[in-house]
Amino acid sequence: MLALYKYKTILSFSILVFCTLFSTPVNAQTKLEQERVYIKIEIKGMACPFCAYGMEKELKKVAGVDHVEIELKKGLAYISTPIDQKPTKESLEKIIIDGGFTAGKIEFDDHPFIRDITIKGKSIQN
Amino acid sequence: MFEKLIQKLITLLFLNYISFCGFAQGPPITAETPIMLGLEGGGIRTFGKFISKENVNIYIQPIGIPYNITSKFQVGGIFPFKFISPKGAETTGGLSDICLFTKYQLFKKDGIAKTFRILATVKQSFPTGNTSSLPKIGSGIYQTYVGLIIGRISTEIGIYGDFGYNITSNGATDNFLYNFSVGIPLLPQKYPQKQINTFLEFNGNYIIDPKIHTLFISPGLQFIPGRRLLFETSFQIPIVQNNITTNKTKYMILFGTRFLIN
Repeated sequence: MLALYKYKTILSFSILVFCTLFSTPVNAQTKLEQERVYIKIEIKGMACPFCAYGMEKELKKVAGVDHVEIELKKGLAYISTPIDQKPTKESLEKIIIDGGFTAGKIEFDDHPFIRDITIKGKSIQN
Repeated sequence: MFEKLIQKLITLLFLNYISFCGFAQGPPITAETPIMLGLEGGGIRTFGKFISKENVNIYIQPIGIPYNITSKFQVGGIFPFKFISPKGAETTGGLSDICLFTKYQLFKKDGIAKTFRILATVKQSFPTGNTSSLPKIGSGIYQTYVGLIIGRISTEIGIYGDFGYNITSNGATDNFLYNFSVGIPLLPQKYPQKQINTFLEFNGNYIIDPKIHTLFISPGLQFIPGRRLLFETSFQIPIVQNNITTNKTKYMILFGTRFLIN
């Protein structure tokens, strides 16, 4: 009986140690994601590939932005910055207006935005 | 025979434009664009244009450099090199008349993946081309062009039009110029992407005195291999050449490229 109790204690302790050890990277990942702010920008008038290039060039100048993703058909641009370099809505609107377009809705989020991607005619979410 | 072939070609092109469901397209080839961004701002454009006439062949290689002062205001210069080869005579060539231009956005209505814009434009040509050579490389006169550029562009179709009045000096006759263009992309929309676009364009010139009207139909193709580079070609065929008795234009071929320097 005592042996079974000891066995259960050791098993429980082992599971606890295992969970603690393997949960650490997951927590780190979540922390890393939380350190960035994700921004979805609606850009009205962006109707040609060179318009998109002009906008991509301007948005890359925003502090902390290293990648710009554009969905031309929906008139959307996606960027992310470190949370301590989060741009204001007004500063993003000014970039769009100075770039020759009209600013639409601008959304901020702690997590990446879900996007529709069409592969071989099938729409999937990313 | 040749006229029938041209008629069939025009019919096929119209059917192609009517039936095609397209995506996003680049700037027009022979008409002006009302969007002053991307390749039209801070970029360089050059094309070689071969003009075949009854008595002479002409090759023009202009280099256009636009620069955006603001998103609404653009300035630029066009530096054309011209080579003229009369039949049975030697070729003469060199820098022709330099042109400086400005564009200003008068109206803009933006929507999701579409825009409608109107621009005013002024072009000033200077008689920098040599006029002592035979045939003449330059016009020998100052020319001021005042016009409007209108365009409705969506990710599915681009419709462009521009027209204006060209005022000349030294008693030369003024003329009215007009261009119309429809552009449709052939590949699915994705950015950045490799694109192939088709254009059907019309280029008109009406000389006031004597009354001479020329109109060309210009089917064209455009290939965009990346973000900052574009290649294009256009074949211009005359459909109207009123009051021209000698040295009519047979056809014109254009090969061009546009690229960004920043």
